[in-house]
Amino acid sequence: MLRRRDPATQSEGTVAGYAQTFQRFPSQPLVKRPQTRSELSGPAHLARRLGPVRGDLAGHGAKRAIGQLINIRARVVDEDGAPVPGAVVEVWHCNAAGKYIHPNDTRDAPIDPNFYGAARLVAGDSGLVELRTIKPGAYPVPDTDGWWRPPHVHFGVWGRIWLSRLVTQMFFPGEPLNEVDPILNAIRDPQARTRCIAKLMPTTKGPADALVYDYQIVVRGRSASASLP
Amino acid sequence: MSLIPTGEMTLGPFFPREFAQDANDLSLGAKGEVIEITGRITQLDGKALDNLVVEIWQADGEGRFDNPAFFGWGRAATDADGVYRFRTIKPGAIDGRAPHVNLLLLYSGLMRQLQTTMFFSAAADPVLDAVPADRRQRLIAKQEGSVYRFDIRLRGEGETPFFDD
Repeated sequence: MLRRRDPATQSEGTVAGYAQTFQRFPSQPLVKRPQTRSELSGPAHLARRLGPVRGDLAGHGAKRAIGQLINIRARVVDEDGAPVPGAVVEVWHCNAAGKYIHPNDTRDAPIDPNFYGAARLVAGDSGLVELRTIKPGAYPVPDTDGWWRPPHVHFGVWGRIWLSRLVTQMFFPGEPLNEVDPILNAIRDPQARTRCIAKLMPTTKGPADALVYDYQIVVRGRSASASLP
Repeated sequence: MSLIPTGEMTLGPFFPREFAQDANDLSLGAKGEVIEITGRITQLDGKALDNLVVEIWQADGEGRFDNPAFFGWGRAATDADGVYRFRTIKPGAIDGRAPHVNLLLLYSGLMRQLQTTMFFSAAADPVLDAVPADRRQRLIAKQEGSVYRFDIRLRGEGETPFFDD
């Protein structure tokens, strides 16, 4: 069985300053349901169906995307801290000017012809995925009272079972906009918020041309109690 | 060691379209009764939602979750009319559970994934029974031949029941 999560470590359903949450999050209490084999199982070998797509978004030479070169090293672990080998990780983010490749991003900001901000990665035995890319820019959210999103990277992760599915965002340390972002601050617990911010690794140890950020993703589930009901 | 699961956050409005393409047909090569599951997804003011991501997980026609010939997982995005579609196999009953399909929804303005379950009839089921009796009907799909219609209302009158696990 999965442990229930402490609500303080998870986003509030409705968030002041984010109007759509009041249109979309249920008004009725969420129903507590029993956990059966159905919720505690999941597709086997998901990576065979959702295989790797684009492991390098930064490119090289004349095809190099504009922006600060970064390496994201994200580790997928379960609630026991055990790595989740084979975890599928989808990553997407905007370019250095804060523009997404998505056609719905109609904001007046330049497209970078050398940047396509979407990748799918599959974790190795240590649960690690690595992505070479550029640091995304901040951007203003349309129709709001001066809300700017801090630089962030979207993550969609599958763990071992249906209920371990996780969609979240990774933030960068030292960004003043982190302090006021309604999405990051929808998590009330300060330590839980801090865990959503990647750590900058010492620049003396990494590659000469890129900043390295470490990030840990904890998906629901216990490796020590993997047996199904 | 005991770690706290990472906080969920919204999918945002710019989920890459390519990720939600070509993943909504679970029926290929599978044994069983081929059905379509479709529905329209709306928010509080009644507006239909475009590019909302729906993922499903279900048993095979005999109620098995470990059939190597049936993947059981799929993903679709709603179109401009708020409509999603899956082609799949009608799941069988298993372990005291009535036939059902698990769904999760991801979208901008949804700070957390929404979990719900679609049933084919008002059969006895521990998950359906956990829902207040006056709301259970919202989790039962409407059959039109081989098409099962399952409209989802995120918030407001006739709101779909969602689960917290």
